[in-house]
Amino acid sequence: MLTYILNRLGMMLVTLWAIVTLTFFLMHAVPGGPFVSERMLAPEIAAALNAKYGLNLPIWEQYLNYLGRILTFDLGPSFKYPGVSINSMIAAGLPVTLQTGLLAVICVVALGVPLGVIAALNRNRWPDTTVMFIATLGVAIPSYVIATVSIYVFALRLGWVPTFGLDDWRGYFLPVFALSGFWISFVSRLTRSSLLETLDQDYMTTARAKGLRKGQILIKHGLRNSLLPVVTVLGPVVANLITGSFVIEQIFALPGIGRQFVLSITNRDYTAIMGITIFYAAVLMLMILIVDLLYVWLDPRIKLTKATA
Amino acid sequence: MSAPILSVRDLATSFFTRRGEVQAVRGVSFDVRQGEILGLVGESGSGKSITCMSVLRLLKAGGRIKSGSATFEGTDILSLDEDALSDLRGNRIGVIFQDPMTSLNPTLTVGDQVMEAVRRHRKASAAEARARAIELFELVRIPSAAKRLNSYPHEFSGGMRQRVMIAIALACDPKLLIADEPTTALDVTIQRQILALLKDLQRRLGMSVILITHDLGVIAEVTDRVLVLYGGLVMETAPVRDLFARPAHPYTVGLLGAVPDLRDDTHKRLTPIPGSPPNMLSPPPGCPFTPRCPHAMAQCMAALPPLFGAAHQSRCWLQHPDAPKVDAIHEVAA
Repeated sequence: MLTYILNRLGMMLVTLWAIVTLTFFLMHAVPGGPFVSERMLAPEIAAALNAKYGLNLPIWEQYLNYLGRILTFDLGPSFKYPGVSINSMIAAGLPVTLQTGLLAVICVVALGVPLGVIAALNRNRWPDTTVMFIATLGVAIPSYVIATVSIYVFALRLGWVPTFGLDDWRGYFLPVFALSGFWISFVSRLTRSSLLETLDQDYMTTARAKGLRKGQILIKHGLRNSLLPVVTVLGPVVANLITGSFVIEQIFALPGIGRQFVLSITNRDYTAIMGITIFYAAVLMLMILIVDLLYVWLDPRIKLTKATA
Repeated sequence: MSAPILSVRDLATSFFTRRGEVQAVRGVSFDVRQGEILGLVGESGSGKSITCMSVLRLLKAGGRIKSGSATFEGTDILSLDEDALSDLRGNRIGVIFQDPMTSLNPTLTVGDQVMEAVRRHRKASAAEARARAIELFELVRIPSAAKRLNSYPHEFSGGMRQRVMIAIALACDPKLLIADEPTTALDVTIQRQILALLKDLQRRLGMSVILITHDLGVIAEVTDRVLVLYGGLVMETAPVRDLFARPAHPYTVGLLGAVPDLRDDTHKRLTPIPGSPPNMLSPPPGCPFTPRCPHAMAQCMAALPPLFGAAHQSRCWLQHPDAPKVDAIHEVAA
């Protein structure tokens, strides 16, 4: 187990290095730079700035310098905001993103799975058709539509929640709802189909033939076996939600890292792009590792081997 | 002769599908006596499994019991509520299914699956349940029982898994064991071991067994009495020796003719029964075997024969006192 995890962590470093390299060279291949703007800088100032941030060096040297720096967990200074380091930029945005993201994750699990179970247990009756109708809408409607419509209805018309910001605890409702709406729908559909398949298995009949209670049959024998596909999607979903959404953070004016990531690209803020990419990649890979470990716990037929990922 | 432990009367079960009502069981009656092994034999779709699953009300989606009763130890199972019924299942009545590869939950240890049955019906601590599980594993002859409790089903062979299934079924010393094709999915050599085990356990524990199978060899080997089902009806019922010696229904005769005899070296060809079983969406009004029967008469098409006889019953118009005498009926096909 431990060797497996260490192995995987090693693989993650290799993958991270590949991502860093790819992003670095792609980024520099895009025309423009952090100090290019409508108002032309004097050539001397531009040269001085480039020299200060090491942008005058040959590209491979810049690359090696950057690699050396991230090995010490220093993501460098922002090119766009003088005096701000990328580490502090992520540290500032992350709590906001993490809060809304984790709340959204909780909603996805706490609503998506039970709704799917209710639908499956009432197959083709009204609770099923109702849940599936809403879930189909939830999957089909983009999050920004959910966000704007819910701002209009709940904030503007009904005045129940603020239109933006997180100063008030009620401010969390709409962004979390907009973030999780799609995934609640997705997970409930997945849970439903997976549970229906499980309920049809022979071992479910065996469980009934043992005289077990309904709840025990459903939870111990049914749910556990049908959660595998759900856990599979939850890994990337968690990574996605806790690293933020540009659209949602923009609409609700949340100072999260999702927004910073997109802004850094238009700004050509090289170190910010790199830093947030590395951060996102690391979170995603960690989540996938956790999912793989969960598999083993859920289904003992899955064995961890040294041959990895 | 002791009183029956299970009495099924006029049981009718249908599956309601998009294409209509499939009348899987159409009025089956039988008794299971204390300590006997009753064989239920028939082709796929004859209603043998559905009959037993109806008794336990373990039908798959769409299945519904339309009428009849099933009296087990004095209570009508078919009128029990779900709670009372689940008190019986796995406790007074144990079940073994056909495919041990799919009948065990792949994500739980076999020990857990045995123990949960024990703990459901007996006030047992975890340690007591564990001790009982070890005892059961030894009973069904799973070697190094204590160690194997922590194994998962995929770590067992088919025969060993079926032993686990038997251990689960026997967890609470049932009075009745329903074995639905317990050896069909196993290798021939393993089949023999499992059958011998079942027969031995039945004797030692003094329970009654309903053995469902399509294998007449299995019937001959272990059962005391046989019920031959066809088209959702009992066609013939008799003590096992009687059935093989003097089959009284052309369908039974046909079944016996389709079994190879290893002691016979005359290289006789097996005689299959021509045609195929009836469509249960619209079963014929008369005897369902008529289209395939070598002795079919006009009467067979017109009306369903009753069961003639007492200890050895046959649902065939040939058994009617006024029926023409057919010499060859007992002859196991030429």
